[in-house]
Amino acid sequence: MRENKWVRDYGPIVLAGLITGVAALVLTALGNPKNMGFCIACFERDIAGALGFHSAAKVQYLRPEIVGIVLGAMLAALAAKEFRAKAGSSPASRFLIGLVVMVGALVFLGCPLRMVIRLGGGDLTAVAGLLGFLAGILVGIVFLKKGFSLGRAYPVPAAEGAVLPGVMAVLLVLLLAAPGLLRFSEEGPGSQRAFWLVSLIAGALVGAAAQRSRLCMAGGLRDAFLLRDFRLLSGFLAIWVTVTVGNLILGSYNLSALSQPVAHSQYLWSFLGMALAGWGSILLGGCPLRQLILAGEGNGDSAVAVLGMVVGAAVAHNFGLAGNPDSVVDGTYQVGGIGAAGMAAVILGFAVLLAVTLTHLPKKEGAR
Amino acid sequence: MRQRQPRLVVAFHTTSAAMATEALCRRLNLAGKLISVPRQVTSDCGIAWSAPPELRETLELRLAEAGVETAGLYELML
Repeated sequence: MRENKWVRDYGPIVLAGLITGVAALVLTALGNPKNMGFCIACFERDIAGALGFHSAAKVQYLRPEIVGIVLGAMLAALAAKEFRAKAGSSPASRFLIGLVVMVGALVFLGCPLRMVIRLGGGDLTAVAGLLGFLAGILVGIVFLKKGFSLGRAYPVPAAEGAVLPGVMAVLLVLLLAAPGLLRFSEEGPGSQRAFWLVSLIAGALVGAAAQRSRLCMAGGLRDAFLLRDFRLLSGFLAIWVTVTVGNLILGSYNLSALSQPVAHSQYLWSFLGMALAGWGSILLGGCPLRQLILAGEGNGDSAVAVLGMVVGAAVAHNFGLAGNPDSVVDGTYQVGGIGAAGMAAVILGFAVLLAVTLTHLPKKEGAR
Repeated sequence: MRQRQPRLVVAFHTTSAAMATEALCRRLNLAGKLISVPRQVTSDCGIAWSAPPELRETLELRLAEAGVETAGLYELML
């Protein structure tokens, strides 16, 4: 009886974490960058580059994983009769928050999902990001308790909810039928990619599993801190354990803070970047992965947040805000990280989140 | 081991409405607690209010008086 309850409560979310972790390992083994089998921020950044929204030559590729996640979530939602088109919950603020979340994630060099995958590869530099993410979520929870709200969404025509899945389908057609219209990295992370069909299927599996289980990095920590409910968090932990065990088996686990793939050891700014991502994710009601899933379920507000993230990626690279990985040049280890512009952007990001937060608090006690 | 028991689950469109409900029920000394909204209610990952089923009418009345908008009330075994 107890086992049945545990399986019912934790089974789907742990399975989703397991699927996501295995998918990340497989994609890395088949060509994706190390410790980047999945990364929502990085892959949306690559898509922005593929479409010419930024000109960072090393990070341009129309990642089929993102297309797969959205379409997989949509198909799962349709099959379960859970596709519900709705919108109208402060879309402009969501766009802005999405942009800030992306800048924070690219300062750190990864979204919350990649943060877990980096930890699963033994990347100790990601610990600073994890602590920052926790701190950001706690800040967000403080404001949730004070009544922060972006307002409710309302039902809209189904076509409205199908916009982002439709855009994703068009992007896939472009990749397959008109690749000449897109930009492709010839070196760097954007050039490292699994075969498109494998990426698409892996993304679809993760999207479907995440839709069924409600897998969310930020939601898991929110529920754990706010409600003492650890179900969503178990998905987060399942990814971490799966990737760790997989890397140990594959011989690719490297417990170190030095020379980690696509990572930097500017710890303070990793902390602050992920604090931005954590706070913003709580304001949005979910991490970047969750925004893709919600958009696949027909949520137009999440679609707007995703578009904000894509624009945030372009901004991050056009204005030199994103982090640079540590590297070895002429035998000398060089710490990467961000420059003055990136630091200013992080501070500005906190100011933006604070402004959005304060302007969406109830004006009097008991307001909703 | 805790036995499953019938509960009244109040779902909301926003987290702030759930928080307002918690504050209201604390003020009125009505039993209940915030929970992660059950999967069988919605695919959203929001926050719901869980209360004894016998409080249904009281809650409906008090929430309406306070102007707290709900997304539905469900009686579930939790």
